[in-house]
Amino acid sequence: MLKAQELTKLYGSKKGVENINFSVEKGEIVGFLGPNGAGKTTTMRLITGYLYPNEGDVYIEGHSIIENPSKAREFIGYLPESNPLYEDLKVKEYLEFRGRIKGLKGKKLQQKMDEVAQKTEITDVIGKLIGNCSKGYRQRIGIADALINDPPLLILDEPTQGLDPAQIYHIRELIKSLSEGHTVILSTHILSEVEAICSKVLLIHKGKIHFDGSLEEMKSALRGRTQIKVTLLCPEYKGAELLSQIHNIEKFAVEKSEEEKQCAFTIEGKEGVDVREEIFWKCFETKIPLLEIYSVKRTLEEAFLKMVSEEEENQ
Amino acid sequence: MNKVIAIVRKELWQYFFSPIAYIVLASFVLINSFVFYIVLAAMSKAASPPISPMALLFGGTFFFWLLLIVMIPVLTMRLGAEERKSGTIETLLTAPVSDFEIVIGKFLSSFLFYLLAWALTLVYVFILKSYDNVDFGPILSGYLGVILIGAFFISIGIWATMISRNQIVAAIISFSVMAIMVGMTFFSFILGSEKKELIQSIDLLAIMENFSKGVIDTRNVIYLLTGTVLFLALSVKSLEARRWQ
Repeated sequence: MLKAQELTKLYGSKKGVENINFSVEKGEIVGFLGPNGAGKTTTMRLITGYLYPNEGDVYIEGHSIIENPSKAREFIGYLPESNPLYEDLKVKEYLEFRGRIKGLKGKKLQQKMDEVAQKTEITDVIGKLIGNCSKGYRQRIGIADALINDPPLLILDEPTQGLDPAQIYHIRELIKSLSEGHTVILSTHILSEVEAICSKVLLIHKGKIHFDGSLEEMKSALRGRTQIKVTLLCPEYKGAELLSQIHNIEKFAVEKSEEEKQCAFTIEGKEGVDVREEIFWKCFETKIPLLEIYSVKRTLEEAFLKMVSEEEENQ
Repeated sequence: MNKVIAIVRKELWQYFFSPIAYIVLASFVLINSFVFYIVLAAMSKAASPPISPMALLFGGTFFFWLLLIVMIPVLTMRLGAEERKSGTIETLLTAPVSDFEIVIGKFLSSFLFYLLAWALTLVYVFILKSYDNVDFGPILSGYLGVILIGAFFISIGIWATMISRNQIVAAIISFSVMAIMVGMTFFSFILGSEKKELIQSIDLLAIMENFSKGVIDTRNVIYLLTGTVLFLALSVKSLEARRWQ
């Protein structure tokens, strides 16, 4: 469906994106994830042909976006980041204009306009000036435009940006419903959005792709091992002695305990082993009261931030 | 072609949605009627020179050039700069439409508007005809001159708006280029006689005088057409260049 090959884009001497490679297969919903300024929008602009790369090329259904731009763009419906619209046109006029420049005309155009207006639920505002429409509606108008010529590939740059929670929910539902029959690439800096919608993730940071795989793979790659926290009713040295007897514990660290006579530890088990049961039985054997035990799952958000900051430290 | 028509329709729609269209048309009619009235009044005196009033309307007065170099930048300044400023250029340039089609669509929209404005002056021809015998030859060639110079100037305006982000900047650029083009005639004062002929062949005042006298010089026609094509080509190139930025 789409193949981006060794894309490099320079802004002056600054690198916008560097050596980006990825491909998108038919039917996938790909989330383009990265902090602001990571190069998401630049990549979106390169694959839609709004910008041309300094190196590399993009192929859409086999057509180069540089060599054969008009043909390649026929396969794309694009919602740019800030969703620019003509404020002084009515919604209907706008869709008509967009349909026409995408090669539709006559009955087919009318039919498609009705169809996308219904699909994106903008029939209420169809006769209104775009300048008078709310942000949620404007976003839908932008998506309606992207859909009008029924392109197989939808490219949505931060489709939920600046919307309120209810609007975000509706737009996400809309995107999910579009995934039947369309391949979707969307960019976002919100992880939960990727979790909610996408089947595949591309992680981009500082102009480079750091991860390319399924959502599940990304989750495990980001989370790493689970941490376990325990609180025991015993002196610290006794607790440490107890834990060191359990072989499946990789390492543990003393935490500050909140109350006297208690001690707390953070534990990391060996990969793939849940050590909670062993800790319980060990406490039972040694008659040390186990006050608390729980596993701490890092949220994706934390893991993502950690990865980003680690990279920055390494550089 | 359908895509070009779609762009023309949209641009014309936006012209008439904003007050610009009405203001431009109103001042165009006002100034031309004023000139026409003065010319007629002067000619009705016995000692007046034997010139057709329409010839004076076609470039014979200062007002003709003033109208052209003010009206055309106002008409064209929005076309590209506004799209860039509001960001809509991104949706336009990623639609399956070529840069050439975009430029031609924008050009034709202001050209049609310009033709509409001049079509209003046909009223004067009917007024003249009802009083006197009218020689249609010079009038037709005069209109041809107006059309060709209009196309040339509009292409300059399109180029200026395609390279700017700001409407006012676009207007100033095109106004300046047009002013220099019109001012070519003054170069013949400072240049020696051997170069005069060169200046004369690109001197718009001289060219328009030919047209209004009924003289259609192929060199003049080719000059204006080449200029139009050149600036349209520059506009297409500047659209393409921004993708490489």
